[in-house]
Amino acid sequence: MPSYIIRRLLQIIPTVFVALSFLFFIFFLLPGEPARLIAGGAERNVDPGVLERIEERYGLDDPVLVQFGNYWQRTIQWDLGDSYLTRESVNEMLGEKAVASLRLAIWAIIIEIIVGIAVGLLSAIRRYSIGDRLTTILTAAASALPVFVLGFVLQYLFAVQPNKWDWPEWARLRTSGIGPDTWTFFFIPTGEQWRYLILPAITLASVTTALLARMTRGSMLEVLRADYMRTARSKGLGEREVVLKHGLRNAMLPVVTLIGIDFGTAIGAAVLTETTFNWPGLGSQIVTSVQQRDLPVLLGFTLSVVLAYALVNLIVDLSYAWFDPRIRLGKGDHG
Amino acid sequence: MRRQRRSLKLLALIMGLSLVAGACGSDDDEGSDEGSDEAAQEEGVQGGELVDLGTFAQGPPEHIDPGINTTSDGWQVGGSLYDGLAETDFSDPENPETVPVVAESWEVNDDATEFVFTIREGLKFSDGEDVLPSSFVRGWERASDPEFAGDYSYLFTFIEGGAEKLDGEADTISGVEADDDAMTLTVTLAEPYANFPAVAGFQTFMPMPSAVDELDDQSEWERGIMIGNGPFIMAEPANDQEIVLEPNPEWDGTQYDESLELPEQPYLDTLRFVIGSDLDTAYNAFEAGEGDVTNFAPGRYQEAQDNYETTIDTPFLGAYYFMFNDRNEIVGGPENKLLRQAISQAIDREDINTDVYEGSRTTATGITPPGIPGMEEGLCDYCEYDPDAAEEAYQEWLAEGNELTEPLPIQFNADAGHEPVVQIIIDNLAAIGIEAESVSIPSEDYFGQLAEGACVFCRVGWLADYPTYDNFTFDIFGTEALDGNNYGYSNPEFDELVAEAKATTDIDEASELFRQAEQVLLNDDIGVVPINWYNGQQVYNGDKVAHLFEEPTGHVVWETVSLTG
Repeated sequence: MPSYIIRRLLQIIPTVFVALSFLFFIFFLLPGEPARLIAGGAERNVDPGVLERIEERYGLDDPVLVQFGNYWQRTIQWDLGDSYLTRESVNEMLGEKAVASLRLAIWAIIIEIIVGIAVGLLSAIRRYSIGDRLTTILTAAASALPVFVLGFVLQYLFAVQPNKWDWPEWARLRTSGIGPDTWTFFFIPTGEQWRYLILPAITLASVTTALLARMTRGSMLEVLRADYMRTARSKGLGEREVVLKHGLRNAMLPVVTLIGIDFGTAIGAAVLTETTFNWPGLGSQIVTSVQQRDLPVLLGFTLSVVLAYALVNLIVDLSYAWFDPRIRLGKGDHG
Repeated sequence: MRRQRRSLKLLALIMGLSLVAGACGSDDDEGSDEGSDEAAQEEGVQGGELVDLGTFAQGPPEHIDPGINTTSDGWQVGGSLYDGLAETDFSDPENPETVPVVAESWEVNDDATEFVFTIREGLKFSDGEDVLPSSFVRGWERASDPEFAGDYSYLFTFIEGGAEKLDGEADTISGVEADDDAMTLTVTLAEPYANFPAVAGFQTFMPMPSAVDELDDQSEWERGIMIGNGPFIMAEPANDQEIVLEPNPEWDGTQYDESLELPEQPYLDTLRFVIGSDLDTAYNAFEAGEGDVTNFAPGRYQEAQDNYETTIDTPFLGAYYFMFNDRNEIVGGPENKLLRQAISQAIDREDINTDVYEGSRTTATGITPPGIPGMEEGLCDYCEYDPDAAEEAYQEWLAEGNELTEPLPIQFNADAGHEPVVQIIIDNLAAIGIEAESVSIPSEDYFGQLAEGACVFCRVGWLADYPTYDNFTFDIFGTEALDGNNYGYSNPEFDELVAEAKATTDIDEASELFRQAEQVLLNDDIGVVPINWYNGQQVYNGDKVAHLFEEPTGHVVWETVSLTG
């Protein structure tokens, strides 16, 4: 197992190199001159002297290959450079945004796991019941509803209207921001924090929860028909134990894979939720950096997202062995 | 991009008059806006916290350090922390004028090449350091350091030796000299420029305390608590959630000219700028009671006004227009003037304002907007909707042997809300027989393409950097205009009039010359098609806020903002 983990960790290095190198070169193919956009040229005319100074200051007048070499020379020392626009250290920006993203992603995944698996499980056990049909309709609707629409509806129902109805302060959820920094154990909201967290977490979880519920239902239905389930029942185990111990555990492999992907996405690509709720995370910052051609921020933030994905996938792979003891990690793929 | 001061009573007058102007000829201007202005004149109290959701509703400022800031949003903070040499006084809306602030007065030589500013005695930075002429030199040298210089640093080329400093050929700006004993700052310009005091009051020219000299990297200044000489100080370093300001105990508004009618101290105890990411979210937050003032997205003007009746739609110093590329063979040159006339007269500007902007903008009758000293409305002969005259001009152009062999491209930057405007123009042109098509260009590439000559008939907007007539003539339409004269408009007569105006120290005489230049552009050449003048889009909580006004520059004079009891 340790050698498997080390090997997987080493595999992250070429993954990161390829991903960021690709992004680096793509950056220079995007429409618009970086220096002009850095100087605010998406909105107005720019003085040519200013353009020259920006190109010189950030080395944008160097050949792309030289810039590429300089970039990797810095990056391997974990110096992600300074933002072209704000001139702030990308390392510092990353520290703030990554923490915010991670907290939101954790809660979205908690909601997804609890609600998604529970709903999927119940739907599978009570197949074709009213609850099952209702779940099918609701999950389809949740998957189809644009995130920002759901976000604005939730804001209206739980923040705007309570204010108009003059509800007490604690009962009014917040539309935006991350609130006071009063987290316990890194991710547990205390005091007023939950009023800021709950709506973006639900919104971010909505689509993935619906998908997870459907995935759990489908996987469970398949497992429930398996021979070993009949065997478990014939051994005299109670239905509860059969379903939870033998059924759910075996149905978890595809479900865990989906959770892993969702967690990575929630950390690095929750753009709409972050924008709608003014949650200062990685995803929205990456989009902004693309629009503004802020290369150091784009690459630095992407690097952290790639690393997060790789680590989450590693954890997911490790979890396979726990869910299915027949899987022997690191022993090759020979069956 | 400037902040001005004016008395609250006079502000109300301006608001009223501006709204009358914005009513576009209506004789019966007794709308609810005036009522809201009167409501805003309620007695305010000292103290309290105001939460602003609008200034940074769409994201954090790139900068708040006035030396490198480029946005009006960032200047809402920077302008609260710093006072400059001069500002524009809008107390007479018909005749705004540049007035001294930190400068007590200034003198200019006959050919407008040398200014001597006398600095007020007794003014201090928030750390107790005196504000001296050398404080300005420090600020200017810092802002023109090529290693640090921001996007507005080109303004230092107006000063003798400024270009050399920016190019790294000189260590200092040779044309600036401070005498702290005499309290004078002498500035020698590279070329005659009578409006220089207005530019010298711009954010890039703010004074700096000696504390900046202790920094190895000047970019760090805005990451900490910036020390300034303005009405507010930072309560804590700016972060990505909010920027919090408190009154500066060293500031005393009564030290400035009485005509500015500034309070001794800001009314507010705390001014909190919340940093958002989306205009609609900011408006929802406002509706949820999370803040006291916000901006709103275009298209929500009427909703905001209906719900709160405190909508602020102050005319901005900005113009929305379409430009002809004078170098283009389809529309450029004297031989195509009739076509340009037809296009300009075919456009129903009122319809655009009503349909696209819910009537929240002011239909333009020239390029230079109200609020610019010397500006006069109605300079444009071809800006009124007249489809008959337009068709006649088009037919005449055809009769001269010309023809449009392909649809006229109307270019605009994508995803910025211009599509409906362009569609109305296409329909207007179709009505007189001109076939046109919309050409959407990604915003990231738009101005870059225009700089390379891609414009045929293209959308442009311009917000004043500083409130001078030359900012709407020389900087956009001069042969030496910014960004290498994107649109190819070049007329020696225009250039000469503007150059003469810039060198004329008599404001009336200079204004007349600027107006003549604008008429050459609008009427002799028809080089541009003005559509509308921008207005502000803010709304505030009338139950809590007693006084709050957005100025023509888009800035709020925060030290005069007060809350109800």
